[in-house]
Amino acid sequence: MEKKNYAKLGEFTTLELMAVCGARAIKNGEVVFVGTGLPMIAAMLAKRTHAPKAKIVYEAGFIDSNAIDIALSIADSRLGYRASAAIGLIETLGLLLQGGHVDVGFVGAAQIDEYGNINTTYIGDFEHPTVRLPGSGGGNDIVSSAKRIVIIMTHEKRKMVKKLDYLTSPGHLDGPGAREKAGLLGGGPSLVVTNLCQMDFDPETKRIRLATIHPGVSLQDIRENTGFDLIIPEHVPTTEPPTYEELAILRAIDPHGIYIPRSAQTR
Amino acid sequence: MVETPVEDKRITLKEAAKLIPDGAHLFWGGFGFQRPPMAFAHELVRQKKRNLTIYTCGSEMDIDILAGAYVTSRFELAFFAIEGIGLAPNIQRRIREGAVQIEDYTNLAMALRFLGGALGVPFMPLKSMLGTDLLTKTKFKPKKAEVITCPFTGEKVVLVPSVRPDFSIVHVSRVDREGNAQIDGIKGEDVEGARAGKKVIVLAEEIVDTEFIRSQPDQTAIPNIYVDYVVECPWGAYPMMVYNYYDYDMEHIRMYYQQCKTEEGWQKYCEEYIMSVEDHMDFLKKIGMERLLKLRAKKPFPY
Repeated sequence: MEKKNYAKLGEFTTLELMAVCGARAIKNGEVVFVGTGLPMIAAMLAKRTHAPKAKIVYEAGFIDSNAIDIALSIADSRLGYRASAAIGLIETLGLLLQGGHVDVGFVGAAQIDEYGNINTTYIGDFEHPTVRLPGSGGGNDIVSSAKRIVIIMTHEKRKMVKKLDYLTSPGHLDGPGAREKAGLLGGGPSLVVTNLCQMDFDPETKRIRLATIHPGVSLQDIRENTGFDLIIPEHVPTTEPPTYEELAILRAIDPHGIYIPRSAQTR
Repeated sequence: MVETPVEDKRITLKEAAKLIPDGAHLFWGGFGFQRPPMAFAHELVRQKKRNLTIYTCGSEMDIDILAGAYVTSRFELAFFAIEGIGLAPNIQRRIREGAVQIEDYTNLAMALRFLGGALGVPFMPLKSMLGTDLLTKTKFKPKKAEVITCPFTGEKVVLVPSVRPDFSIVHVSRVDREGNAQIDGIKGEDVEGARAGKKVIVLAEEIVDTEFIRSQPDQTAIPNIYVDYVVECPWGAYPMMVYNYYDYDMEHIRMYYQQCKTEEGWQKYCEEYIMSVEDHMDFLKKIGMERLLKLRAKKPFPY
């Protein structure tokens, strides 16, 4: 195996590490459903490194996008650059996604619970909410029907909760077999990337399990910022840091720091 | 040979907005920052329309303006925000006041509800929403969705009610005066949405000769049969974008977002950019030709 040239602690930001983790979750040749923000950057990085044959789909209708400029909206004309097709929602969310052609979907979350169920709709009580969030958009469709799901989010106690204020998108619901029983097509969440760690799902219980700890983060940090009982295996490896090559490409993708500000806190 | 007379469906933006009665139900076209009927939203505000219900997948500053001006009291949608910036400021405030109610669906569910309406069937099946609060929690619809067991395969399927709104409002790239419309770039849910309305108003960046449309019929996204009215409306999505025509004006959108965080700020924006201008052309004059031209798409890029 070739020796990788890893960046050292202090030479990359947490957001850069998160984007690299997201990119590595994409395999070459896969059909990837992403939104704007960090997932878009992650998918663009994957395409320019280990997964040049990955096909990026945006729900607004851009298929196999080869954007070279950072988009602010999922329907941004920038995403149309050298795409193979520009169609619409029935095509992307219906025929491609529900039709079973999407390997991996990336989503964000305002809250998740220990089964990877997602809230992007309300904070607080349904009748009298504290904050009304944007809602599902295509999020529920993606999490329902993609073969696997990567969740990218900030790791905070109020976001990693025992009970969601509102269940927008289905994780593993209440445990093993629940998705199948509900009639869902896709495989559900398989990876959660945060600013502190990566988490996967225990195959027996379908509960969230610590997978890797980001460099410079302690187990204590993770425990303090998680509101549910996280499964912690005996040996948890450190997250593979970004390589210098990945960092250089990443910084070329977002040169103005729209989604990955250069001044962001360095771990 | 007798030449077929070309039917002329053109009306002005003002006339088009006058067709919408208070309390009407509207399909609202555009998706995210792409082709929102912004000029139409402004005109509905100027004409002080009230109590509209809007059906859309995901919309942004356009519907935030409609909520801010108390034009819309109900939305059935999947997503609203000012993408890349934050939450939609006016809608947040109107929800807290109780002036706006939102019934939540997913993007696929809404797109299928429009397709169902266009097909003339009462509901559509899908495999989203299962196992979530989207199925069970409702704001104002007595019945929002239903899970059934498929009579053929035995699998669980969600049914969502079709939508046949009073009007469909779409902003397209170009149209002829008979109503044959072309849409460059992504179509979002506009192909289905434009066919779902009982009356259809097509606004366009430019009006083209019908021979242009008929020389490339494969490019027609909405044939004239569905369309009742045509409105010429250049820069009609500004400050958002139209594929191949112009980019968004982020400076204006950010200013809107910052200013509308307070009710006073919104009132000021509404007065300055909507109420105190005579019409859409007057609004464009206020923005200024120099600023608009900087946003024009630079080929081969569609932005």
